[in-house]
Amino acid sequence: MWKNSSLCCVLALAILCLTSLICSQEIGSPGEPQNLKCIMHNLHKMICTWDVSSKGRYGQTDFCYTTSHLPPPVCIKTREKRVEIPVSESSITVSITTNSIYGAAFGTKKFAIHKKDISFVPLTPHILSLTPDFSTSTLNLKWSDNGSVFPYGLDAFWQIEILRKETMEKVTQVTYHSKLTHENTILSWNWTSDMPLECTSHYAKIRCYINVTDFVGHKDWSDWSPVEKVLGKDTEPNGSGVFPQDTVVAVGSDVTICCVHAEDQQIKRMTYGPEIYPLIHLSSRSSAIRVINASASDTSGTNVVCTLSQDEMDGTVLFVGYAPDTPQNLSCETSNFLIIKCTWKPGRPSGLYGKRRTKYSLLERISGKNVSCEVNEMNRERVCGFPVLADQKTYSFTLGVSNPIGQTESSLLVDLTQRVHPKTPEKLTVSGNSSTNVHLHWYINGSFTEIRLLCQIEISSGHSEQKLHNVSMPGGKFSTYTAQLNALHPYTKYQFRVRCSAADHFWRWSDWSRVEEHTTLEAPPARGPDVWRERSPSGSSLKIFWKPLTLSEANGKIVSHEVSCYLLDTLLEYKEVTEPSNSTEIKLGKNDCVISVVAKNHAGSSPPSKITSVELPSDNVKTERAVALGNGIYISWSSYPNVTCGYIVKWCRSSGSEPCSVDWQKFPSNTTDAVIKSALFRPGVRYNFLLYGCKSSGYQLLKNITGYMKELPPKRAPNFTVEETSSDSILVKWEDIPVEDCQGFLEGYRLSFAKGEKDALKPRLSESGNPELKVKNITDLTKKSLRILDLQGKTSYQLDLQAYTAGGVSPPNSLYVVTKEDSVGLIIAILIPVAVVVLLGVVASIFCYRKREWIKDTFYPEIPNPENSKALQFQKNICEGNKTLKTLEMNPCTPNSVEVVETQSAAPKIEDTEMMSPAADTTVPEDGSDSENENHVVVSYCPPIIEEEISNPSMDEPVGSSQVVYIDIQSMYQPQIKAEEEPEIDLVTTAGYKPQMQLPISALKIESRSATEEESDKTAGYRPQANTNAWNMDTPDSPGSVESTNENASFGSPCSINSRQFLIPPKDDEDSPKPTNTGWSFTHFFQNKPND
Amino acid sequence: MLNVAGEISGDSWGIFAFLCAALCNLPAVPALNGTDELGTGQSIQKTYDLTRYLEHQLRTLAGTYLNYLGPPFNEPDFNPPRLAWAERVPSATVDFDLWRGLTDNARLAANYRAYSRLLCYLRGLDGQAGTAELRHSLGHFCSSLQGLVVSIAGVMSSLGYPLPAGTAAAAAGPPAPAGAPASPNDFLKKMDDFWLLKELQTWLWRSAKDFNRLKKKVPPAVVTLRLEAQGF
Repeated sequence: MWKNSSLCCVLALAILCLTSLICSQEIGSPGEPQNLKCIMHNLHKMICTWDVSSKGRYGQTDFCYTTSHLPPPVCIKTREKRVEIPVSESSITVSITTNSIYGAAFGTKKFAIHKKDISFVPLTPHILSLTPDFSTSTLNLKWSDNGSVFPYGLDAFWQIEILRKETMEKVTQVTYHSKLTHENTILSWNWTSDMPLECTSHYAKIRCYINVTDFVGHKDWSDWSPVEKVLGKDTEPNGSGVFPQDTVVAVGSDVTICCVHAEDQQIKRMTYGPEIYPLIHLSSRSSAIRVINASASDTSGTNVVCTLSQDEMDGTVLFVGYAPDTPQNLSCETSNFLIIKCTWKPGRPSGLYGKRRTKYSLLERISGKNVSCEVNEMNRERVCGFPVLADQKTYSFTLGVSNPIGQTESSLLVDLTQRVHPKTPEKLTVSGNSSTNVHLHWYINGSFTEIRLLCQIEISSGHSEQKLHNVSMPGGKFSTYTAQLNALHPYTKYQFRVRCSAADHFWRWSDWSRVEEHTTLEAPPARGPDVWRERSPSGSSLKIFWKPLTLSEANGKIVSHEVSCYLLDTLLEYKEVTEPSNSTEIKLGKNDCVISVVAKNHAGSSPPSKITSVELPSDNVKTERAVALGNGIYISWSSYPNVTCGYIVKWCRSSGSEPCSVDWQKFPSNTTDAVIKSALFRPGVRYNFLLYGCKSSGYQLLKNITGYMKELPPKRAPNFTVEETSSDSILVKWEDIPVEDCQGFLEGYRLSFAKGEKDALKPRLSESGNPELKVKNITDLTKKSLRILDLQGKTSYQLDLQAYTAGGVSPPNSLYVVTKEDSVGLIIAILIPVAVVVLLGVVASIFCYRKREWIKDTFYPEIPNPENSKALQFQKNICEGNKTLKTLEMNPCTPNSVEVVETQSAAPKIEDTEMMSPAADTTVPEDGSDSENENHVVVSYCPPIIEEEISNPSMDEPVGSSQVVYIDIQSMYQPQIKAEEEPEIDLVTTAGYKPQMQLPISALKIESRSATEEESDKTAGYRPQANTNAWNMDTPDSPGSVESTNENASFGSPCSINSRQFLIPPKDDEDSPKPTNTGWSFTHFFQNKPND
Repeated sequence: MLNVAGEISGDSWGIFAFLCAALCNLPAVPALNGTDELGTGQSIQKTYDLTRYLEHQLRTLAGTYLNYLGPPFNEPDFNPPRLAWAERVPSATVDFDLWRGLTDNARLAANYRAYSRLLCYLRGLDGQAGTAELRHSLGHFCSSLQGLVVSIAGVMSSLGYPLPAGTAAAAAGPPAPAGAPASPNDFLKKMDDFWLLKELQTWLWRSAKDFNRLKKKVPPAVVTLRLEAQGF
């Protein structure tokens, strides 16, 4: 802009020069005037200027001009090169003569000035004032348009420039348009700075352009006015602070905040809220920050802190908020025709508090009355009151809302009579001295004389639903209102409450008043009680039952019932039964009468209920089953033609500890079915219903019906026992289930059985999934036993018996039964083996008998020949065989049972006698018995069986004859026994027994002693028939412990000579085996054998 | 200024304070001298307890109020210079040794003066706080502080010290608007509030120490003597 304007100036100047060149007819001689220029500042006069080319001094100039319509020339003498002449309509001829200081003419020049050659440049405007408003950062510029010199209605354009800072930076340039009014007018222009005016100095200048429409020449902008300035705080010697101070701006604004400080200070930082902002340098004493799009500040505003050097600090608070929201839902109403209460929702909070908060005022346009509203900030809904004006029904409200950022309003036109919201009715009272009517009174605070009120009374009682009763009444002035309520029920506790509204133009109900209670008075019962009667089983008395009246029928508290019995208008009996009894009994004998029952309360008696006692005989009364239906029991009957006055279904609980409570229900004659419902009905309980028909002459029992409200599974299974068991069948018997346990109509039994032991942990049969489970379903209820066939003998069976109804299956009763054994089979099984054995015995006996000679020869020859003896052969063979084949024959050592059989008849052998010794004699008798008894010595060398064999002959034969020889083997060899056994052994050793002869031990000393063996054979006095090798070898196998066997075998515990091998004398003592040999293993022994 | 204000508006509160002081002194009347020692001791103990309670209460209140003032006032390391405007708040930043060197009477009087003036400013805060919740808290604290001022007056009386001249009515009376000229702008007002809370904290802390010390060394004989000297 700056550049543009200077360019314009240059251009204008050039044009001016050009025109003057054109205008002046330059002669070019020295001292001659030239470059005549004429400029108009207003439309009346123009200023003509010229140059003089001569540099010499000149005196006066004669300026003469003539216009076309003013023939005599006008001459003006001047010493300047400038004259002011009036503006002529036509062209002007000018003659300028310059004279020397002495009066001589230098030169004369003539110019012709045409209209178009004249320029129009307005006078430079002057700023009258530049006034700052620091609080709003606004500059106000005032100047005069100088319009008096111009004709009316010219357009004037004013160019204003605002500059800032010491460097005069252009901030803005605006063009302001005005119309000239042929008067001097003061023009004013406001500019709001985006930066507080305190921050730095601001400057303003102005120029103008007047659009003179009928001017044909050149028109131009005026010169710029002198600069007018507003100094910032940074120019004041003690000026400091943060600006703007305590300003309110709208959310989203851009704000510039500056900090002005002393010359010797520096700004360390500037913070806006918690954030540090970059500084914008304004001057040596002022810097600013720019906050773009400011967000809403906290309750106490946003702090801007300017931290200076030397720990100084300054700041300001910026309040950023919203302009007030337009009030929503503005609504005005009156509750008492004294005050109009207007409410509205404020909408979005402004975010401004305290003195900057949003303020409300209520203006009523018709009356022009204005009230300011004190609103509670905490309340979301705002309320403002306006007084009701006399004789004014319609109100035009405008709610004005304003805060420092903006303002808004909301309007509402109301007819007050249509906006009545009465206050809550107070002081509600109920009065009444009747059983059906009451009066209600209440008070409403307010003046409603102009309208009618509609009040609603809510009537509620414990046993009926709420009712609303509307009453319309003329409004009063702070008055009490009354309403009457009719058709209430006697002896009923009612709760009343009231609310009201305007009747003609409903607007809103008031709140409900508090509840008031009232109980109406009693009235006689509305009807007689429902009656039934029953004759006692004996027939002498009649029991009369009646049902209590409902609350609505009783009309009060029933105190008693009057029961009277009439026989053709003759009172037979009269009774008054007090509450709460609902039955009585009268002695009637065999008579019949009409019974009348009347209920009485404090207010009176009910109409009588009558029933005859006559019971017609009935035959062929059938019993049927009823069907459960929903929560009742459905019974039906066929229509009985003689029944004229209805049916009666009477029932009673079929079982239970308490006496049967009679209940009944009456049905009209055309009914043939009914669903009997009772809260007392329980599922699983059997009820018996009796259907009576009412005939003119009396009541007749028509039918018995039993039923359940709901059938349930029986409570338990029938008790059952096993009557009989056989090997393949079981007879089971069970008892009936009591009716109360059935809980339904019994449909059958289920007997399940399967093999099974009694076991507490076993599941029920039905649940076990036993594949062998068999189930028998008994639907014949008369059947009370069942035989289960095809069972296995001597087997445990589990039996489960369950009963079932339509409601389900009872829990099972279980029994465990073991079937009997099959005796025939057992007998056969025993008899057959016995018979076979006997047969075999017989056959064997016969065979033995037939072949006895052969047997004798074979087994018991007269003269036993060892060679021939099969038994011995057998042994020998074995032993021989062993010699070669066996090393570890573990057979019981039969070879040990070599028997020396002596016949008494035979002469004693020499060897035998030789062997006998006196010492031996003494010991002999002991042998037979002690050989075994004294085991500790003899150990067990001799197998019992052998001893037996031996002992028998010894007993048979005389002691002396038997050749029993003891050999103390231990005396032969150093015994190798356990330490504790030693003394005994010694004892034995020292005992009287001595070997009868020296036996070469070599026979026992097995190791490679074949030669010795032979030698010993020769030298020995006695030679057993058996080969010594045989027993030597076999000893290890003899029964007994290894150790003992060992001893027996080789080192000889004392042993009866009745046995055999040790009869062979061992070697000399010195040759006896070393103890080491004893421990020497048999394996060794046998291993060596083959080497022999 | 405060004194003037107090004189202007020290009506019923002044009477109340006087009555309190009189009541506190009642046990010290020679005829009732048996309970004198106990009464003074209890009164100091109660003042001490109240000071500790106020210290605790102020911690909560200061947190809330500084948050209300917004950053940087609620920043823990914010330590602004005491601007000239804030100088009106009585400072507790007296040298420790100097303070200890004062007599009990002087210290109590200084406490009394300080709380009276602090209370004045505090009531000013109450009316301006932006939120109802804060106003409620401030109101509650003011009541407690009022109690402390009365309590200190009671202790002084029971010890036989005269109340600082002219402050009694000001302390007990309602806030005097003239005594607390409005700050030139909101920021300086916030600074004032900040310093007020800070000084209150320091005063309470130091008062607690003072009362604790006083509690230990109450010489009953001196009390009686002084009271007698005052003509009781």
